[in-house]
Amino acid sequence: MSIGRLAFQNFRKSFHNYFSMILSLAFTVLILYNFVNLTFAETFQALGERNKEYIDIIIRVISFVLVCFMFFFIWYATNVFLTKRKKEIGIYVFMGLTNRKIGKLYMLETGLTGIVALVLGIGAGMVTTWLFQMILIWLSEIAIAISFRFTWQPIVITAVIYTPIYAFFVLKGYGNIVKSSVLEMISAARQNEYVKESGLLLLIKAALGVCILANGYALAIREDGYNVMGNLLLATVLVIVGTYLLFGGFLPILFQRLSKRKSFLYRRERTLWINNIVFRMKKNYRTYAMTCVLLTCSVTAIAAAFAEKGKYNNMVNFRNHYTFQIISDRPELEAEVTALIAEDNEIAYHGCLPFFGMDGSHFSNGYSQGIMAFSDVKRLAEDTGIDFPYESLADDELIKVSYEMLMSFVPDEKEQTIEIDGRPFHQIDKTTAPYLGYFQESHGYYIVSDSVYAELLSQCQEERLSQCQEELLSQCQAEVPADIQTYTYNYKIVDAGNFDVSREKLNGLTYTAEESYVGLVALDPDSDEIEWIKVEYSLCVFVFLVFVLASGSILFMRLYNDAFEEKERYVILQKMGISPRTLRRAAARELLAAYAMPFLLMTLSSWFSVHSLEKLISKNLKTVNLLSVVIIFLFFAVFYGLSVLFYRKNAEIL
Amino acid sequence: MNEKKIVEIKNMTKDYGAKGFRTKVLKGIDFTIFANDFIAIMGPSGSGKTTLLNILSTIDRPTQGFVLFHGKDIAKVSNQELSQIRRDKIGFVFQDYNLLDTMTLQDNIALPLSLNGISGKTCLERVGKLADTFGLTGHLNKYPYQLSGGQKQRGAVCRALITEPEILFADEPTGALDSKSGKDLLECFRTVNERGQAAILMVTHDAFCASYAKDVYILNDGVMRCRLSRGNDRREFYDRIMEVQASVGKDDRSSAAPNSFVPSSTAPDNIDHRKKGGDLS
Repeated sequence: MSIGRLAFQNFRKSFHNYFSMILSLAFTVLILYNFVNLTFAETFQALGERNKEYIDIIIRVISFVLVCFMFFFIWYATNVFLTKRKKEIGIYVFMGLTNRKIGKLYMLETGLTGIVALVLGIGAGMVTTWLFQMILIWLSEIAIAISFRFTWQPIVITAVIYTPIYAFFVLKGYGNIVKSSVLEMISAARQNEYVKESGLLLLIKAALGVCILANGYALAIREDGYNVMGNLLLATVLVIVGTYLLFGGFLPILFQRLSKRKSFLYRRERTLWINNIVFRMKKNYRTYAMTCVLLTCSVTAIAAAFAEKGKYNNMVNFRNHYTFQIISDRPELEAEVTALIAEDNEIAYHGCLPFFGMDGSHFSNGYSQGIMAFSDVKRLAEDTGIDFPYESLADDELIKVSYEMLMSFVPDEKEQTIEIDGRPFHQIDKTTAPYLGYFQESHGYYIVSDSVYAELLSQCQEERLSQCQEELLSQCQAEVPADIQTYTYNYKIVDAGNFDVSREKLNGLTYTAEESYVGLVALDPDSDEIEWIKVEYSLCVFVFLVFVLASGSILFMRLYNDAFEEKERYVILQKMGISPRTLRRAAARELLAAYAMPFLLMTLSSWFSVHSLEKLISKNLKTVNLLSVVIIFLFFAVFYGLSVLFYRKNAEIL
Repeated sequence: MNEKKIVEIKNMTKDYGAKGFRTKVLKGIDFTIFANDFIAIMGPSGSGKTTLLNILSTIDRPTQGFVLFHGKDIAKVSNQELSQIRRDKIGFVFQDYNLLDTMTLQDNIALPLSLNGISGKTCLERVGKLADTFGLTGHLNKYPYQLSGGQKQRGAVCRALITEPEILFADEPTGALDSKSGKDLLECFRTVNERGQAAILMVTHDAFCASYAKDVYILNDGVMRCRLSRGNDRREFYDRIMEVQASVGKDDRSSAAPNSFVPSSTAPDNIDHRKKGGDLS
């Protein structure tokens, strides 16, 4: 029989062995195909060139991450497969086959698996493209029609990315088999997996793991101003390394210690499953670590997605809280503007708010700020329906008014002391409520008590005058206005569709002269300028789901294959009179531990990663963190259930 | 005889294969094992030894006839109850030891007890006692791959005895051992049996191994051909076994009638060795 035929026959006969690998590989191909296809789909062109450009950049970045993931995933899958196949096809040595021929057999079998996975993945990808885009658009809350046009490019690109990676690892496996000694090939079938590692080495690994992980966590949440980004990169590396060492050192020591405490071990099925975990730990710890890192990444991705969504909502809130904002040095414009807008549009709410600017030299932090009076802001908040949770403000207190930024490396302290002209003010809060809407995006403001406002206003007025006197003497005096305040008139209209008519009319009001000015900010409520953020959000949700599914399938694949190796042991135990029920219980506990270990460490790591993200974007993401951990828990519960079912079937303990 | 019957099989047959291609492996066997028996079943390959052992030990079920364990028909016993019988009343020793390579020798021996919910302290006490008897005290913390064949097999016997079973079934227990280890193991079997710890039934094709038993049964072509009982001299017993084995071999080669070589008085058409008592000598 030719090697080709033998390989095909092997592939056909042991399809159930290949099943988990084909399914997992096909899944990664499906995801990559869908992402590549997005760049060619015309769906997002409806959002305009600029949005499409941004979305394409995001898709490319995610595709790159997916290709990296695919690389490691194929590496992992082919490695697991090689170990398994080496044991099975090693037997051909007895039939006189050379290592090269056995390697060729492996290459052909694995090649067939790869081709089937590619075809299945692309096929399933083509079928699910429409569904994928539909879910994406639904998640993004964008109102565009999906355009489905078949193109060859995504198929070719996916195949071109996948094939060389896969071929590389198949060839690597071939090299491994060719280089194996005959003895290795024969003993592979009877190899004892238990390679006792030196206790000292494990202890060193464990201590290093705990230290590195703790340092990574500490670095992730450290307040370090502008160094935060660098700290975060280092923290990521430390957490990944720490996780590997923890699983490779700490957990083996823990379980070995447990297995030595006989009063603990000799309780029902513990002796079976704890010993099994100890036995398999050396082989499986990388899987647990990889799953844990992937899951932590996925939680961070989903938290980032929600942060993006939050940012989008805030931007929309800021931009859309008012439709028109008029800015002027004239205090009497309100009636005129209101009448002008009311001619064509019903006004939902409106409010007027004066403020004045103080340059940076007055402040301890050196930044120029706008100053607003407490009662003015309170009135505006009442008029325009904005939350204003403050009862009163003492004369030595102020409130910082800002807007939410996506990322901030500046340490953000809510409570601090600000000095204005050497006088200390206690900052009691920092708010991002859009009192001044669009104007808050470009400038910072302080709310002070009415008496302090009046004081600072007259002080600034006098200062302005004295400056003029010094510089230009009498010429200037006439030009300094009696009132240096800026007045904002803020309006929201009911019918956004009728926006243009009022804008045209309000434009007629604007002018800039030496002695006076009127400016207009008109914010189109239907602007889709920042729609790409919504797409970014939903893509992040997808990456989260992909990573969670990938982690689950990695564990599933590992346990699926372990079951075959356990079969023999379960036969012995059943002969000894140990009931299948007891064995099923022991297996269930072992599988539970396999899923629980990465899950628990991920829960801890994700708390720190999300916390550091919180600091970067100044947003509370604890609920998102909790929710994503719950979602992962649910996914894992399903994977666990499936693993238990397949494990029982493969190990024949039904 | 007032001795307690442990297993009793009556007119038992066992077939294998699909309909139309059935092979009769055991053909109408009657057999009883009493407490404190030490029996060896011998026969050439394919004679049905292992099948008989599997049926006696409740791992397999007969095609026809009855297998009674303490007078209870195992055909009428649920799988769960059978598992319980195997767990509590029966011990197994296999040719290839079948120790679990995932755990230390100590855990292997304690396994059946700990799964039964016995406290860790009791488990350790019993393991210690057995390990002492079988010379394994210094090896308890080793994994099977760190032990010699003899140590593994003695460990397997300890595991089989830890639940204090009534009967020990051993399938070619010395098959994978060198002669010294094999002898040590058989001495252990004898000690266990003589102390009244358990009845022993072993299947072997090795006459030397069989000579340690109190009674030897020769199985050939699915039929019990004869029974030999040991006197006081093991060497003389060994010679007798060899003699009968040679006769069986000769008989097979000349395709004689199945029972022709056995004196009619000892023909085991219904073997209850306590009742019959005769042998070839």
